Amino acid sequence: MSAKKKSKEDKDDIEILQEKLQSIKGREGIIGYILRGSSSASIDLKDPTKIINYAILSATAFEAGQDLSATFEIGEVDTILLEGENAKLLSIMVDSNRLSIFMEKNVDHNELCKDLNLT
Amino acid sequence: MNKDQYAVALKNALTEVRNICPDVSHSFIFTKDGMIIASDPETEEKAMEKMIHSFQSIAEKADTIGNLKAFYVDGKKGKVILSNVNDMYLALAASKNADTAYLHSITRVIIPTVLKLLETINPTPIQSTPSRQLVVDTLSGFFIGDSVQIDTELLEEWAKLLDQKGVNEVEIEAFGGKATQCKVKEINDPQLKGKGMVRIPEKVCKTLEVKKGELVKVKPAST
Repeated sequence: MSAKKKSKEDKDDIEILQEKLQSIKGREGIIGYILRGSSSASIDLKDPTKIINYAILSATAFEAGQDLSATFEIGEVDTILLEGENAKLLSIMVDSNRLSIFMEKNVDHNELCKDLNLT
Repeated sequence: MNKDQYAVALKNALTEVRNICPDVSHSFIFTKDGMIIASDPETEEKAMEKMIHSFQSIAEKADTIGNLKAFYVDGKKGKVILSNVNDMYLALAASKNADTAYLHSITRVIIPTVLKLLETINPTPIQSTPSRQLVVDTLSGFFIGDSVQIDTELLEEWAKLLDQKGVNEVEIEAFGGKATQCKVKEINDPQLKGKGMVRIPEKVCKTLEVKKGELVKVKPAST
């Protein structure tokens, strides 16, 4: 497969994922998401005033995930889940893109992954 | 319970978790401040420090989701779980095949139960046996037997301290280093009571290599 073709397929996959993210963002308990690629990012959060805080937490989660993967030799990171008192963050590597979904604590994140075809 | 006993008990609990579930490769417990309380014997300090650093960097940015309660990293070859237990954090690293339900039972049931037990249990303090220096008086005669004699008040005091009905045997140690254990009775001669004496049969004096008027250390024998 040529690099150009692969790139186009990846782009299509991301577009499909973005459509799915749009469909789940209105669900009860979903706070929003950040999808970060190598050159662009899509952010959709209910409270835009907290974009920076969410973005920093998302980046830190990925960074910590990589560090712990290296320390405990658990291989390439698939998912990271942070649970707080009020909400949780699910971070997933989708090809070379980093997806972080913020949700209320009671949302079933496993179900969400299934709906996004990320399992 | 003092900190050392607490740490040893937790270390044993973590070691047992690892024995029961060999998929768990590393486990340790630390406070929010980053102080390591206990770890299994296999986990290196450097790995723990890295984990704590990662935890702290996330914890300080986690206001948007509330205080950090748990942190899971799922990798292609294994997983890392960090879970809040009371006011501490339990960190576990396990292989990919580790039973998730079992790992959750460790983080949510077993370790919290152990911590709760440790906090509620008050171990019986190790009582230091009271020792007294007494002046030797020799007992001689055919019918003296093998028992030594001590003041009633002292025997009662020891019994009270040790929460026992009475003291039946004592350990006697001479300053020369010789020691022996004998049955004990109350001093029966009213003239000798209350003088800080221990009346020792001659035979026992020979064993201890002590003479009348010398000092010996006497304490209740451990039962």
